[in-house]
Amino acid sequence: MHDSQDIETATTAVATEGRPDDKTRRYDRQLRLWAATGQAALENARLLVISGSATSTSILKNLVLPGVGHFTILDHTEVTPEDAGNNFFLEGPSSIGKSRAEEAVRLLCELNEGVVGKADTGNVAEILDKNPSYFESFSLVIAHNLHPVLLDKLSTLLWSDPTYPILAVVNSAGFLAEFSLQFHEHAIIESHSDTTPSLRIDKAFPALLEYAKSLDFSSMDSMEHSHIPYVVILVRALEDWKKQHDGKSPQTYDQKKEFKAKILDMKLKIDEENFDEAEAQAYRCWTETNVPSDIAPLFDDPQLDSLSPTSPLFFHLLYALKKFAAQPPHVLPLTSTLPDMKASTASYIHLQRLYKDQTTEEKRTFTSFLQVPVDDDLVDSFVKNAHGLKVLRGKKWGLLDASPEQLAEKLSMSPRETSTHLAMSALRASTIKHPDIRPTAEILTSEAKALLPPGTELPEEFSNAIGELVRAPTADLPNTAALLGGLVAQEVIKMITKQYIPIDGCCVIDLIETWTGMI
Amino acid sequence: MASPNNPVDWQGRYHHIDQILDTPGPRTDEAFMAGDGVKNFLRNEAKILVIGAGGLGCEILANLALTGFKDIHVIDMDTIDISNLNRQFLFRPKDVGKSKAIVAAEFIMKRVPGVKVTPYFGKIQDKDDDYYMQFNLVICGLDSVEARRWINATLVNLVDPENPESLKPLIDGGTEGFKGQARVILPTITSCYECSLDMLNKPTAFPICTIANTPRLPEHCIEWASVLEWPRVHGDKKMDTDDPDHISWLFNVAAARAKEFKIEGVTWSLTQGVVKNIIPAIASTNAIISAACCNEAFKIATSSAAYLNNYFMLIGTDGVYSYTFEHEKRDDCPVCGGESLDMSISSEMTVEEFIETLTEKQDIQIKKPSLSTPTKQIYLQAPPQLEEATRPNLSKKVSELVEPGGEVTVTATTLPFSLSLRIQFTSK
Repeated sequence: MHDSQDIETATTAVATEGRPDDKTRRYDRQLRLWAATGQAALENARLLVISGSATSTSILKNLVLPGVGHFTILDHTEVTPEDAGNNFFLEGPSSIGKSRAEEAVRLLCELNEGVVGKADTGNVAEILDKNPSYFESFSLVIAHNLHPVLLDKLSTLLWSDPTYPILAVVNSAGFLAEFSLQFHEHAIIESHSDTTPSLRIDKAFPALLEYAKSLDFSSMDSMEHSHIPYVVILVRALEDWKKQHDGKSPQTYDQKKEFKAKILDMKLKIDEENFDEAEAQAYRCWTETNVPSDIAPLFDDPQLDSLSPTSPLFFHLLYALKKFAAQPPHVLPLTSTLPDMKASTASYIHLQRLYKDQTTEEKRTFTSFLQVPVDDDLVDSFVKNAHGLKVLRGKKWGLLDASPEQLAEKLSMSPRETSTHLAMSALRASTIKHPDIRPTAEILTSEAKALLPPGTELPEEFSNAIGELVRAPTADLPNTAALLGGLVAQEVIKMITKQYIPIDGCCVIDLIETWTGMI
Repeated sequence: MASPNNPVDWQGRYHHIDQILDTPGPRTDEAFMAGDGVKNFLRNEAKILVIGAGGLGCEILANLALTGFKDIHVIDMDTIDISNLNRQFLFRPKDVGKSKAIVAAEFIMKRVPGVKVTPYFGKIQDKDDDYYMQFNLVICGLDSVEARRWINATLVNLVDPENPESLKPLIDGGTEGFKGQARVILPTITSCYECSLDMLNKPTAFPICTIANTPRLPEHCIEWASVLEWPRVHGDKKMDTDDPDHISWLFNVAAARAKEFKIEGVTWSLTQGVVKNIIPAIASTNAIISAACCNEAFKIATSSAAYLNNYFMLIGTDGVYSYTFEHEKRDDCPVCGGESLDMSISSEMTVEEFIETLTEKQDIQIKKPSLSTPTKQIYLQAPPQLEEATRPNLSKKVSELVEPGGEVTVTATTLPFSLSLRIQFTSK
């Protein structure tokens, strides 16, 4: 297109230009959350789901719809009349007697032609015994109400090598449920953090400082004056202030008040909103820009001292970031995203240009610290999101129950969540010890006590929780299944796309009082 | 087809649900009729209305059918679009263009034997009080504030203290990206939808002078194309944000303006997002919120467990964070409160400015309000003759027309209630 194209030419030119294709249209509402990179990650993922229960198919539904690449349901059982009554991905009585994996896969695949689904009627117990490498081809394994002995084997196997798939452990009975993720390490660049990067008004880069100093506020007409961006006003006001205060920014409460008053005094007319904005943002002048407190500890990661060409790119990038921040002015690289502010088009675009040029410059410096070649888009993304980086370290499944003292402490700190978790653990233990007996309150209480230091008092919340489990020990309720289906799928999407922040711990759910909690 | 009175229930069908319905739990109310009593009510008597057959509605219908509700009605005025298919799992590509309510109803009846789903392809406003009176419960899965306010006010108005049957619990869900909320409203008893209007996010609005004179963001260029250029070029022809040709036109116009001002970032997708006010939506969040809503419906219909009191809020962007709390009823709620709302305005404020304030104020948000006092009309939006007759008042000061402490009644065609304001004037 030409620079000075009029509307008529522009609109008659190529009417379909930029118009999305069918796939983009189909995924539009989710691409606005995780973009093409997240979608590509999702489409490359391979999921294994153990059992074709109502909860399992509910989870899968929410992953097939957004377009996960591949899924396998591993289930050797046949559809029972009970299954046919509570699972939307079985066709009522006509599915009874058929393979549960095959029926569920067939109906789930109807949701999205772009997804490959496979039914495996093998027995998970035998696979764990005879063919443990079976699991390695998947990126993530989901297990719902898996027999605790098998769950223990599976989690131990998948924990044994950091390159093995992530494991999502999901347990539910009646109105109660819990789930957790087992992974070694999860590094996130695009955390979609709510915090915004610094504009560096307190440490203005040379071009910005020069620009702010070069403007002659007094010779401007009223239109121009009322459209100076607040960033420029602040940089200038701070510079003027420092000249009169030994190079220091406002320190005391009175000085800050005086500084704000000075900004308002710069107004030519009472309704100059840009100066109001500057006053409201004045704190940026005395809030020092440095490496954010959430990011600085990441620089202590021992992996940064022993990087090899095969180390994850994230840590190579983190190393470069550490080097960058070690140099004056000890900040993260600049990002060019300016917030909107009262300004004329020309002054805003000019300011944006200054930020963009500086961002390019700093990116060049950042890149010079990289020890391996990194794709340019990834560098851009890393730099842009540097203020929201996250590294999560996971635990092996079951570790929580291995320490009685820790459990007791959690019980006193968050009785309702820990009680519900304890009740679920007790239910699993009773399945092993008393496979043929319907669990009673006595059995569950004694199993829970066995996990705690001797003599630990169990709170009322615990009686409430086991009361529900005794009532419905094997119920896979449609609403609980659907809710878990949503929650677990959400966490799986976050793990696969490496966007947003997944749970760090065990998520407990009570659908009687309708709450969720973390322990 | 099986009627609700002749269910095709097979042995074991409700094995999972019946574990709950056969026995009370530790937190179950004494009124719970474990066993056949509650099962009969749920499966043969309960009649439930679902408003919306979209992202939440599809999930809600499936959950209700599986939990044993057999007589379900669903209302939706929309047709199926390709962008629905990433989450509205009862629809297939071949259904694009068809009624959501009808396709969803047919799918549920095919998949879950013995469930009767009665669709209505139209607006909730088409139905009268007698229609709403027939249901035990109403669940809303809507994306429109206006429709929610309408059904909320309608159900509050329906309550007759002499007739307990007239109180219809309203369960409302909503989502946006990884976030959502579910709540239980007992009309006239608990906080209602109108009570919580100030919790809504303020919609982003760009000042017209920025759009016209000092565009800085791609959004400003898009607004210029849709708000100023479309009517200028197309006159009375209505813009259809579902028509890709219209979006393409807006995109090209916005892109040309952006180019002129050296603004980067106008894309087709952003254009569509801005003019349609698109809210990101995914299957998983809808599943969570719908399940929470249906679980409350199940608990209320069966008394098998306590129900939510009264608001559940979920944020899934950073871990799983949720907050369950009791939202308080507002005494000055225009729908369920009974007391008039106090409002202080400047004695210099004109009627026109006052109307703008009412449109923007978080706890009021009334589009196109008409104003009157007990003795006179201040400004009426319709009919045209009255609008013309009252138009001169727009430039008058409110203080010329209303006594200090006087009452102003605000009405709007979109709302089935009127708002009563007590006006005080400040000298500034």
